[in-house]
Amino acid sequence: MGMRVRVIALCALWSGAALHAETPATSPPASQVPDSVAAGQKLYARHCLSCHQADGGGVPNMQPPIAGGSWVKGDPGALALFVMTGGFDSAQRKDSAVDNVMPPFVQLTDEDLAAILTYIRQKFGGGAPAVDAAQVAAARASIPR
Amino acid sequence: MRSTSFARVVSLSIAVAALAGAASAADNDGLTLPAGFTATVVQEGLGGGRHLAVAANGNIYLARRDGLVAMRDKDHDGKVDETLQFGDVKGTEVRLFNNWLYVSDNVGVYRFPLKKGELAPAGPRQTVVAGFPLERQHADKTFALDPKGTLYVNVGAPSNSCQEKDRQEGSLGQNPCPILEKYGGVWVFDGNKLDQTPANGRRFATGMRNAVAIEWNDAQKALYSVIHGRDGIDTLFPALYNAEDNATRQAEEFHKIVDGGNYGWPYTFWDTKLGKRVIGPEYGGDTTKEPEAGKYPAPLVAFPAHWAPNDLLFYSGRNFPAQYQGGAFIAFHGSWNRAPEPQAGYKVVFQPMKDGKPSGEYQVFADGFAGEMADNNPRNAKYRPVGLAVGKDGALYVSDSQKGRIWRITYAKK
Repeated sequence: MGMRVRVIALCALWSGAALHAETPATSPPASQVPDSVAAGQKLYARHCLSCHQADGGGVPNMQPPIAGGSWVKGDPGALALFVMTGGFDSAQRKDSAVDNVMPPFVQLTDEDLAAILTYIRQKFGGGAPAVDAAQVAAARASIPR
Repeated sequence: MRSTSFARVVSLSIAVAALAGAASAADNDGLTLPAGFTATVVQEGLGGGRHLAVAANGNIYLARRDGLVAMRDKDHDGKVDETLQFGDVKGTEVRLFNNWLYVSDNVGVYRFPLKKGELAPAGPRQTVVAGFPLERQHADKTFALDPKGTLYVNVGAPSNSCQEKDRQEGSLGQNPCPILEKYGGVWVFDGNKLDQTPANGRRFATGMRNAVAIEWNDAQKALYSVIHGRDGIDTLFPALYNAEDNATRQAEEFHKIVDGGNYGWPYTFWDTKLGKRVIGPEYGGDTTKEPEAGKYPAPLVAFPAHWAPNDLLFYSGRNFPAQYQGGAFIAFHGSWNRAPEPQAGYKVVFQPMKDGKPSGEYQVFADGFAGEMADNNPRNAKYRPVGLAVGKDGALYVSDSQKGRIWRITYAKK
């Protein structure tokens, strides 16, 4: 598992393509799913909404949409990793359709990130499975130091 | 004598155009305007427009991120009926200067010779300045020209507030901000000289985050700008500011731009709630702490946060009533960074001025561009005003960035 996350992490950092690939989403056991959609919505408003907007549609030329993208409902590890590392090091940066770069949100706790990701997957990812703190922690452990 | 007959021809064609446009423009295309003004659509839309220029013969030049377009109304029915794409310049600025059409993209300023009878310049394209570093944020090289041909180029800062890590929560500001060495100000060049590089320019003014709306005022012999202010005070420093603060406090500052001037970015911003300049949270600001007195000027006008001033024009045309003479029109493109609060801007504002100074409160001149804007998202705005120009007859032209629509606004005494 750790290895797999690391491979995805490297792809995400160096190709960016992994973010858009349709990776089968793995769902954590029901007991581990945080009841966090409401909490996630609050955290989304606080950290994400001003750029990606309330409808997840982004702003043309400025910030990309979350809604309708394949990665939001894709692999939770890759998604968590991208949110934690941001877009500054993305090799795709120069070809990006938008001007602004996403800052890293590595300062957020595993629990808060899990809540945000769970919220955006439900709201903008067609109800993709929830993300739990352990999945975020695994992705965090894969960040090269 | 010659000028008299020319004037007569012009006024006749204005009358004809006004008649032709009257029926279709009964509702001003959905825009709201002061009494006596009429808006007609001269171009339905060619895809996202930026700034525009209108020649003495009525030909219209529109800058777009998809390339330049020249257009004219051959049968004088008030609508464009000939459209030509030309040049390979994808950008925001376009200005007429003597017999030249000056344009820019994100890395340079260029010009085309405009020959008599020619709608789209055949070329060749000349490079005035090239080699600005390719950036993504605030990259539009808008510019102004004074009558001597001095070229004032806005070199926007590729940053929000020069944090060590741009737009990262809690990241502190760099002091001194190294970005200011090459960006975040106005650089001057000789607009009549070719093949210059940024190194040939001189930093004229600094401390300007992004001065998209930049204009030479002939009557005052001075440069003016309405500057895009910073954003994100709430998400970056949540212990100091909340979402409502972010939506309302950081002014879009209107300044006279003087040689050697410093307008305070990134260290400060004009707080519209407190009515004073404060130190930004990245630089030790505590929401009320002020910079050293006199270090940075107060704005002539502090416009509301995030309205996005994208063009500025001083009116000296002969069509509008006397109160508009010498005043400033500002095209506010509209916010994205007020969310979750309602977005705002999306209008053309008139700022009355006398002797180059504000002489009254600003007035909303043209509104209703955005429509209902579903989900409070700028993507759903019907139109967004982005560029302004005045025709020889005094009509005000407004361009739109959503569809490339162009309106012509005229006044007729009732």
